[in-house]
Amino acid sequence: MTPAARWTGPAALLVLWQGLALAGGGWLLAGPSEVAGWLWSNPGLTTRAVAVTLANATCGFVLGNGAAIGLAVIAALWPRAQNLVAGLALVVFCLPLIATGPILRVLMGPGEGPQIVLAALAVYYTTLIPMLAGLRAIPSAWLDLVQSYGRGRWAELVHVRARASLPYLLAGLQISAPAAILGAMVGEFTGAERGLGVLTIRFTRDLDIPALWSMGVVAAGLSIAVYAAIGWAGRRVLPGTPPVILAPPRLIRGSPARRLADTALLAAAALTLWWAGIELLGLNPFFVKRPPDVAAAFFGSPDTRAALLDAAAKTLALAVPGYLAGLALGAGLAVLLSLRPGLAGLMVPLAVALRSIPIVTTAPLVVMLLGRGAAGTVTLVALMVFFPTFVACQQGLRQAPGPILDLFRSHASGPGRQMLHVRIPAMLPALFASARMSVPAAILAATVAEWLATGRGLGNLMALSASVSDYTMLWLAMVAVTLISAMIYGGIAWAERRVLLVMAPEQVRP
Amino acid sequence: MDRPGPPAPIECTGLSRLFDGSILAVDGIDITFAAGRTTALLGPSGCGKSTLLRLIAGLEEPTAGQVRIAGEPPAALCRQGGLSIAFQDPCLLPWLTVAKNVALGRKLARQAPDPQGVDQIINLVGLGGFQNARPASLSGGMRQRAAIARALITRPRVLLLDEPFGALDALTRRQLAQDLPPLWQDQAATTLLVTHSVDEAVMLAHRIVILSPRPARVVADIAVPLPQPRNPESPAFRRIVGEILAQLARGGEMAQSLAAQ
Ligand SMILES: Nc1ncnc2c1ncn2[C@@H]1O[C@H](COP(=O)(O)OP(=O)(O)OP(=O)(O)O)[C@@H](O)[C@H]1O
Ligand SMILES: [Mg+2]
Repeated sequence: MTPAARWTGPAALLVLWQGLALAGGGWLLAGPSEVAGWLWSNPGLTTRAVAVTLANATCGFVLGNGAAIGLAVIAALWPRAQNLVAGLALVVFCLPLIATGPILRVLMGPGEGPQIVLAALAVYYTTLIPMLAGLRAIPSAWLDLVQSYGRGRWAELVHVRARASLPYLLAGLQISAPAAILGAMVGEFTGAERGLGVLTIRFTRDLDIPALWSMGVVAAGLSIAVYAAIGWAGRRVLPGTPPVILAPPRLIRGSPARRLADTALLAAAALTLWWAGIELLGLNPFFVKRPPDVAAAFFGSPDTRAALLDAAAKTLALAVPGYLAGLALGAGLAVLLSLRPGLAGLMVPLAVALRSIPIVTTAPLVVMLLGRGAAGTVTLVALMVFFPTFVACQQGLRQAPGPILDLFRSHASGPGRQMLHVRIPAMLPALFASARMSVPAAILAATVAEWLATGRGLGNLMALSASVSDYTMLWLAMVAVTLISAMIYGGIAWAERRVLLVMAPEQVRP
Repeated sequence: MDRPGPPAPIECTGLSRLFDGSILAVDGIDITFAAGRTTALLGPSGCGKSTLLRLIAGLEEPTAGQVRIAGEPPAALCRQGGLSIAFQDPCLLPWLTVAKNVALGRKLARQAPDPQGVDQIINLVGLGGFQNARPASLSGGMRQRAAIARALITRPRVLLLDEPFGALDALTRRQLAQDLPPLWQDQAATTLLVTHSVDEAVMLAHRIVILSPRPARVVADIAVPLPQPRNPESPAFRRIVGEILAQLARGGEMAQSLAAQ
């Protein structure tokens, strides 16, 4: 791309935005000029908030990614632990930030603690999963080489796996950088004293449209900046060589009985960690509920159960269509751009901008623009799912094996046929990986919209329970959201195996 | 240069390997390879030669029988760093330069770094000047030579070479076949060389073992009593080549009649 072409996309977006703002006459939509004006007259306020949010996000980024790398290394050294590590990590990742936020707040007090923990929680999974894949995505001959010198898993890790996983790690870190800012801002929503999230809450309450859009722009700019910075650093670390993904991550297979045993072990481990953690840390039983408390609330009180199930149904009714739309848009756009690369200049910046604006600032705006009905929430969920899917699918399409493409070209098969027979099968594993990873994100987007704007569903239930100190209900909702996310995730993993067995069998066999 | 020890004899008894419960790749092979000798393994494609090497390297567990190297299981020798295998695929790490890929052999064998030795061996296999090149910028044959250098750098007690010249042109093959014997003799490792070229086998080996089509069994065991350096045009050389070609053809017939029974 020429420098000129690179800037036409963002410039066109800017003009479009200003045009819309002028057409709207200042109603709910502040244009670039108003945002610039607001920022110009409030420089100190903005800079201080940015500094606080960025500091918390950085701490969370380091902690979360450090934990992810550590867990991935453990799984690489003890392959038997891999399913358990990935499973527990998934459970923690499925915890709804909206419920964990207030609980962390009452446990940790008014400082920066919850923001940092939430930022860490928001990033670690998107790093752990590519790392796990990267540590395994190597030709078995390399492992034979290490074994032929009588060396074990540690030498494999040091000499082969670590370096082979580096491109995956960098890809994960890049995706997690904006997520850290999102996590820190959600933490700030739960009653922090300083930061972008605090300002956003204030301006939403005051309906101060220019200020609210300015927060959105600053948060988006910050997210784009950290995304670009990690991307740049990544290219410095791996000069010249684009991150080659040598082989698709292998799925761990097993008989149905083995998978059932794994699931049971995972459930037992999660419950044990939950219960033992509370006892060991001596947490206040008023704020922190144990497994039996939650079970008693669900099975003992029909009213509570009805309220919970009703809220869950409302949330899923909007989250599922938005999720599917986001997946379809992401994959569709990636395919379109690969067939018509000229459009990339316009679409890629738009995609990055849409994704980077932290959901917490977009939620009120999108819902204000599209109304409190279904459209707003569905759009928000779709936006949240769209970008990671788009990036993953673009990468997947590039994975199409060169020799096979050459074979198609030699038979004068056009781009359409190549797409259908070679590129799309090569993209499917990436699409499914993204579909799995996006489940908790979709639930987060739906519950955030419900909490901040529409006042219904699980998001509202959690916010309401937190504000009236009904911690039993809050824990119940948290467990429900986690279970729902984990079950959808499992369902997609199941579908993934089915589809890949037919469409891309070489990707499933070990 | 340090080396892990003297060449070690290899003893296979009743060695079998069954894949997926039905594909018998190696079938009850009894054979010993004397210490310090070079043996070429010849056999049709897919007959189980690579599997036999992998069994000897301990990379594959036998379904029956056993491998003993200097009286111990292969793993013991591997742990000493006394065994090197060059795979059919060069198997270089793409992020390391040629020199570092070769040095990796010493690292994995827990030997002290030896930059001069690395340089020397790279020159020997004809890659001088490419020390700092990465595998992606080498031709297939150059990659194979780098892999051979990595196998030789540890001065192993057992050297397993699986079609090391597979991707080379006829001229380079012949050149290497002439250059390598002194190197091997200098190393004096117990060497097993899988190849599809009868000329190459006669050129390099003390002994030639011919395997039947899958499942691999020994059909002929031929000594090559020629002194090094050998002249591929000499009558004695041609006579041995002819004998081997006849044996290979007979091996095929034998398998057919076995299958017919
Ligand atoms: N991991 C495996 N799983 C199943 N079957 C295998 C495996 N490895 C080898 N085989 C089978 O064992 C037989 C022998 O394979 P092997 O690679 O040893 O042949 P080879 O003699 O080295 O052939 P070539 O000369 O083509 O390299 C083949 O039929 C192959 O399909
Ligand atoms: Mg072979």
